[in-house]
Amino acid sequence: MNEMNVSCADRERIFMDGSAAEWAALEAHAASCAECGEELRIWKSMSAAAGELRQEWETPYLWTRIERSLAEQMAEKPSRLRAWLNSIGASKVQWQTVAALFVLVVVSGTAWKILHVPPGDQNQVFLKNSAVNDVERAEAAYQKAIDKLDAQARPQLETAATPLMASYREKLLVLDNAIGELRAEAGQNPANAHLRRQLLAMYQEKQDTLQEILETKR
Amino acid sequence: MATMRLALPWEARISSQEQERGSRVGLAENPASGLAPASGEVRPEDRELAAACLAGEMHGYERLYSLYGNRMKSVARNLLGSASDAEDAVQETFLKVQRSIGTFRAQSSFVTWTFRILINTCYDARRSRMRKKEVTGDGTDESPMPERRAPGAHPSLKLALERAMEKLSDHQRQIFLLYEVEGFRHAEIAGMLEITETASKNTLFQAKRNLRTMLEPPRSREAEAR
Repeated sequence: MNEMNVSCADRERIFMDGSAAEWAALEAHAASCAECGEELRIWKSMSAAAGELRQEWETPYLWTRIERSLAEQMAEKPSRLRAWLNSIGASKVQWQTVAALFVLVVVSGTAWKILHVPPGDQNQVFLKNSAVNDVERAEAAYQKAIDKLDAQARPQLETAATPLMASYREKLLVLDNAIGELRAEAGQNPANAHLRRQLLAMYQEKQDTLQEILETKR
Repeated sequence: MATMRLALPWEARISSQEQERGSRVGLAENPASGLAPASGEVRPEDRELAAACLAGEMHGYERLYSLYGNRMKSVARNLLGSASDAEDAVQETFLKVQRSIGTFRAQSSFVTWTFRILINTCYDARRSRMRKKEVTGDGTDESPMPERRAPGAHPSLKLALERAMEKLSDHQRQIFLLYEVEGFRHAEIAGMLEITETASKNTLFQAKRNLRTMLEPPRSREAEAR
């Protein structure tokens, strides 16, 4: 086997992702290079000390606890909703589909409500002018705060190529579309309280999603 | 970020305890330690475990616990800082595995999937602890001081390392813990954290470089003295 030659310049690369042969070559080089010898020792001593941080302790009761709670959970009758979802295979449906269905239900439900409100109930559903102004101001402030959150999360969203981030991107896209549609409807019916509540729910969902992304980053 | 300047007798403790890369490869040969073969294939035992758990057989979960329970506790303890919180997290993980086993895709290792749930559970527990602190107005650091550990190798380096690890970012600490403390391979860590192997390697390198800076080596001090 040919002997591999490495120099001080290769040290960090080998520390990061060196093959077994490169490590062996670095060891050989370190025997005659004081600086690399010391760096290698330090690098290894960190690993050695870290290995000792692994902890094992006796927990003879833990499995019994887990077994009992597992048995209780298995014995629980699944809820009717879950049973129905399982029966139609909905437990395997992607969240995007669920989100799209949710948006569809919200938008069509809102439209139905608007068209079917009895004349006597108008005051309950539609906001008065002063209340509309208050709601719009609060909404604008809320949206501004979410936009700030969005700006913080955006670099993480756009640079990370993980499946998790891809899912978040898609989720935010769905939410932004839903928010856009609801805002357009709210623009046509500014006094409709139902629309405002749905819009608020969408903003809340977006805020939670952005916070999750930022927490993932941390 | 404040760096620690500790005098550590580096040379004294590396001779007999080198954690060679080769020893990590050895983990994969031991079913009780490695999660998946180096090739990334799912081992038959892993499939059997998944099938037993999917079928709701208690012995499947018991086997999972007997093979990986200790490692799960150690990971959770290093992430949460307390043995009792770690035990709660392990218990919660088993319940979550049972609840969501129907969504497990056999494309990845069942055990890696289980550890991913454990790590998420630990982070949920930490977030919940942080929220409680915000509500009660307790402004102490989010990372609790780890409980005192049993005496092992050199206490000063272990202690210094533990303190320095607290100053790493969550992501760097997580990868350092999984690789250096728990002995997982980069492929396994990548599966658990849903990142690439290269990202795992890079982050580990950055974490070690940061630790290296925090645990100042004698060479720099000698140079400064001169």
